[in-house]
Amino acid sequence: MQSRRAGMNVMTPYIYVLPCVLLLGVFVYIPLVANFYYSAYSFSALSPTKEFVGLQNYRTLFTDPVIATAIVNNIWYCLISVAIQVLLALVIASLLEDKLFAKISTVLRTTYFLPVLISMTVVALLFSFVYHPKIGLINAALKFFGMKNPPAWTGDPKTAIFSAIIMSQWHSTGYTTMLFIVAIQGISEDLYEAAEIDGANRLQRFWHITVPQVREMMFVTMVTTVTGAFLVFNDVYILTQGGPGNASTTLAVYMYRNAFNLDKMGYASTIAVIMLIICMALAIIQNTAFRSGKGD
Amino acid sequence: MKKLALALALVLCLTACAVAFADQVTVKFFHRWPNEPKLSYLNGLIAEFEAANPDIKIETDQVLNDSYKEKIRVLVSTDDIPDVFMSWSGSFATNLVKSGRVQTWDDILAADPEFKDSIIESQWPPFQIDGKQYGVPWSMDGKAFFYNKDLFTELGLEVPTTLNGLYELCEALKAAGYEEPISAGFSAPWAVSHYLGTICQRVVDPETLAKDYAGEGDFTDPGYIEALNIFKKLGEYMTKDPNSVDHEFARNAFIFGESPMVYLQLGECKYLRDDIEFDYGFFNFPAVEDGKGDPGQLTGAPEGMMISNVASPEVQEAAIKFVKFVISQHGGYEMTKQTGELSCVKGALDETNLDAKQLEAVDLILKSTEPALWQDNVTDAVIADAFMAGGQLLLTGDKTAEDVMKDVQTAAASIK
Repeated sequence: MQSRRAGMNVMTPYIYVLPCVLLLGVFVYIPLVANFYYSAYSFSALSPTKEFVGLQNYRTLFTDPVIATAIVNNIWYCLISVAIQVLLALVIASLLEDKLFAKISTVLRTTYFLPVLISMTVVALLFSFVYHPKIGLINAALKFFGMKNPPAWTGDPKTAIFSAIIMSQWHSTGYTTMLFIVAIQGISEDLYEAAEIDGANRLQRFWHITVPQVREMMFVTMVTTVTGAFLVFNDVYILTQGGPGNASTTLAVYMYRNAFNLDKMGYASTIAVIMLIICMALAIIQNTAFRSGKGD
Repeated sequence: MKKLALALALVLCLTACAVAFADQVTVKFFHRWPNEPKLSYLNGLIAEFEAANPDIKIETDQVLNDSYKEKIRVLVSTDDIPDVFMSWSGSFATNLVKSGRVQTWDDILAADPEFKDSIIESQWPPFQIDGKQYGVPWSMDGKAFFYNKDLFTELGLEVPTTLNGLYELCEALKAAGYEEPISAGFSAPWAVSHYLGTICQRVVDPETLAKDYAGEGDFTDPGYIEALNIFKKLGEYMTKDPNSVDHEFARNAFIFGESPMVYLQLGECKYLRDDIEFDYGFFNFPAVEDGKGDPGQLTGAPEGMMISNVASPEVQEAAIKFVKFVISQHGGYEMTKQTGELSCVKGALDETNLDAKQLEAVDLILKSTEPALWQDNVTDAVIADAFMAGGQLLLTGDKTAEDVMKDVQTAAASIK
């Protein structure tokens, strides 16, 4: 109390938060508001003037078939990512923490985590060789096993988006697995011992102890994975550029292409608004569903 | 006291420096060649220029292609517009000119007819917008079918002059065991637009085409459907799954003898120099029977330099001097010698800086009636994108020529 009276006046706390508020304001909140404003205009990066079009961009958005393709692709991204990066990662983490794998778990843990350390750009360039129809690893293997017409992967509209999704899983699952491992290590050993004494088998212990105990971590990984899936850009843009045609485009890729390739800045802002709404809605839904922070 | 003396000394020193540099003009030059050997070539040329003009300093900034496209578009619309910058011709140039900050060259050229005459005539028009000259062409290019001459001689095959001749040639190559006579890679969509641009030029009536590309037409000419179907038919002779193969891979498949033909830019000759083990030649895209376009045109457009009109008169004068220095017989000669890009200055190219193939390439460009601009440069990006995306899906069978044209029509309507 002594020091407070001596060195601190009413303004002190505000001065401390000021840099943070300023930075957030300049880099997050002002662009956010400006984006809503821009979405009501039609303009190119080159033109000195902007034309006010009201809700026209939104009307275009709802009739644009590419937006529908992009949303479907984002949903696939989200579903597969949740299944693998949240659910499968949790299973892998609990297996690695099981006594059964105690001897090799360190090696496996490191192996799974390695891809995370490689930049996504490098991974995407690497996978463009893996998927290559002529010299690629996958098709060479498929041909070896006698498949006559292996898929074209990134070159076929039906498989292009899944090529990107699979690559993304390879890259990111190690990270969420590591998060779950940390969470599982925080669970008190007593709980497992008690369950064992009561005769619970591995599956029951996983289901009744591990899952409820890592609920907070599940919430975190779920939010980052789902949001990440709706914002995904790098993976798709480098691997397929959203092609062939627009078959593997996602909202972020389509937004970027509209802004910088097609020079439709206003429309790109509109797509950004939709992405913001989708992500916020999903975050709120998940927050309610997990009742985060109100753990028992 | 010591501090005061120091401050005084500093002020004196700065004033002295300012006086020394007072007469020096700084010209900001923004280009897209940060990679070798092009960067060394430009830096060498700039050093030469500065040595010859001690009162001018050239300040450069450079980023690679796609970043360049994005950055220059933004810069041109601000007060940070560079004094000298590079531009492609066609709609790219038109877009930059729309900013109102690009200087016209008409008066400059009228005052210096010698400079105007030093550049190959056919390369000027692609930089004319609304009848005014906005850029100075720097390098030229063309797109042609490269073919394996040794193999053609061995099989007794001739270079085709018509599209049907090309189909027959492909059939003959298939019969000889070449399953993929034309090497192609369309993972980057611009490669599609090079084909579609040429085929549309050959098939569609030139007036209709010009009107449609300018955004004044509606792309309803049946010629477009025919052009797309020609592309689809050619697709049957191309690399399998071309959408997952990139252009460089396609080029290498030709170099290493896997496919006997490939559609390349003449500027790419330099990539073939080192590795190729057979003799090769090239021919312009053949005439399409009943096509309404001039079959003598060669797809390809010059790249050039522009200057800003907001710079002060002294800077602008220095900028013009610099452009004339770069696009001179000396500058052009060195460019071709060091980088392989084909200069469009008359007399800059001869057997001392070109190999036999490049000389043939120059000959092909000069023999063509006029350059047909790249499709993705000549028309609005939205329309070009509809063609490129459609072209990819046409080859996979996910869209028909009619579907693609419907998309193009929608795109054209959206920018009216």
